[in-house]
Amino acid sequence: MTRTIIVTGAGGVGKTTLSAALGATIASESNTTLVLTIDPAKRLADALGVEHLGDEPALVADCEGLWAAMLDVSSSWEAIIHRYADPVVGRRLLANPYFRAIADRFPAAQSYAASERMAEYIESKRFDTIIVDTPPSGGGIDFFRAPAMTNELISGKLLRWLTGSNLPGRDFFYRFTARPMLRMADMVLGGPMLSEVADFLLDLRTMYDALSNRSRTIERYLKQSTTVIATTADPTPIHETRRFFSELGGIDITPEAIIFNRKLPEAWIDASRKPLRGIDDPELRSKTKHNLSLWAAEARRQSDAASELSARYHVPVYPVPWVTPSPQTIDALIRLVATSGIAEDLV
Amino acid sequence: MARGTDSRLIFVSGKGGTGKSAVAAATAIDYARRGHRVLAIDMVGRPGLAAHLRTPSLSYQPTEVRAGLYAMAMNRSDALDEYLKLQLHVPQGAPTKQVSTALAVLADTAPGVREIISIGKPIYEAWKDVWDVIVVDASSLGQFQSYLRAPRTISELVPTGNVRRQASHLEDTLTDPGITSIVLVATPSELPTNETSEALDVIGRESLGPEPTVVFNRVLPTSGISREDLGSLVEGAAGQAATLQLELEEEQRTWTAELDATLQLPYLFGVLTPGEVAVQLADAMGEAR
Repeated sequence: MTRTIIVTGAGGVGKTTLSAALGATIASESNTTLVLTIDPAKRLADALGVEHLGDEPALVADCEGLWAAMLDVSSSWEAIIHRYADPVVGRRLLANPYFRAIADRFPAAQSYAASERMAEYIESKRFDTIIVDTPPSGGGIDFFRAPAMTNELISGKLLRWLTGSNLPGRDFFYRFTARPMLRMADMVLGGPMLSEVADFLLDLRTMYDALSNRSRTIERYLKQSTTVIATTADPTPIHETRRFFSELGGIDITPEAIIFNRKLPEAWIDASRKPLRGIDDPELRSKTKHNLSLWAAEARRQSDAASELSARYHVPVYPVPWVTPSPQTIDALIRLVATSGIAEDLV
Repeated sequence: MARGTDSRLIFVSGKGGTGKSAVAAATAIDYARRGHRVLAIDMVGRPGLAAHLRTPSLSYQPTEVRAGLYAMAMNRSDALDEYLKLQLHVPQGAPTKQVSTALAVLADTAPGVREIISIGKPIYEAWKDVWDVIVVDASSLGQFQSYLRAPRTISELVPTGNVRRQASHLEDTLTDPGITSIVLVATPSELPTNETSEALDVIGRESLGPEPTVVFNRVLPTSGISREDLGSLVEGAAGQAATLQLELEEEQRTWTAELDATLQLPYLFGVLTPGEVAVQLADAMGEAR
């Protein structure tokens, strides 16, 4: 069975690099591994030295068994529509002037498309391990909620309001209740926008049964996956980490580990309190001592934050060292997570 | 109160993780300290701004969080009501309730509606003329660009009427350098610098607003240690910390040279709470002036 590892966390904590590093490490232990990234920037491509990254997994040049793919949201929605909609409705949906705008901006669209892709790769059975770098929308939590949110879009209050009921004959209600109201609203607004959007959503609704079954399957995959949260010591990522634990718990997903990125050695804290020996030049000694004391304060802050997270959530916290510049080769990626031991523990 | 060349409406955006909420809070504190009447707006409903202003949460109704500084958070359903009543002047007798329901349920789906409501609110506050300065903690770079585009998106989709007129008023204010300014927060490393530079290109090319200014956040002070010194440093913590510092200084030199920043804010070593971060950044803004 394919093992899925989902790497989530606030923006800017290095999720993409960490995903690539985990992927390279796991692949190097002769597992066929796919790293799926969703970020629109071609970041993973840079880190992996892959020129062009798209929906179709590409073999990473310098690492046997490692594949990488990047989600293209618009083409993913087209694929979903081709797969689940009746051909006539599908063509009408794709031709709708709002399709692209909506596909790109529905809050869960990117996340839903990502979770759908993840499910396809799991079902293809091509990979021993799949590592998913979550999309940034909604702080990453949307990824886990996407199936439910998509279900809500097509079955929720919006369409119930438009169609009046779930019973056959809903077109009747639409024509005689919601539609005239939308027309009126459009008159006030000065354009045909709302009624056209409503038509679009009604077409989308015909995919309800298929999408709702699919959502349940994807939710099952999400629950079977291993979720790890990446953070740094900065206030926003720490806050987001807490939010992940409280909100994911609500949908029955328990994060299994925290990756603490850009971690400084704790040994610096004690070392900064001791006299500095071996530097003769007093000026250099004072500069060096001052520099160490600044970084030791930072190490102390990180250490407090890491212990607090570990104590509160009872999960292992894996420190990943602060490396600059960010790793540019497969070897450097593997070295980045090597000392943490996280890859061994997850696989 | 003389505002000099300062604009009234300041949008603070930036790549995720660069500290834009902290910079927005610090900017608001800095103006309030100088005696301005300031409104800080959290435009996307994230907890950052509230925490940096040391308040548990913010509501749609502005509340005073420190002398002269008021803060509020966007709430789309309140903003939608305000938009319909005060901005569209939906006429008496028109089915306001129905129009409002139609818009509310579709706001998440119809292109431009959600964005125009969110970006509209700070602009209405500017029109009210009760604030000297409005500082907006805007969303991260990509989403911020679609907010800036919203008035134009609406103008293209809606051929006539109030909404369209309203959208073009919004666009006029948004692109007026005498009223609006845009601050993009970056940190001196590769991805934030590159993404900021791309955003600058897009905003300029599409004339989405006045030319943004760039603020570099988390800039390390130089240690005064040189590469040559490293050789004479002993092994262990002091040498490791000096090596990391020097590598970061080099990286920082590379990336700060890429963008023309108006301000550099310091890396705050060991500072724990968001409230302390905002106050210390505001101190740094004061010193830089």
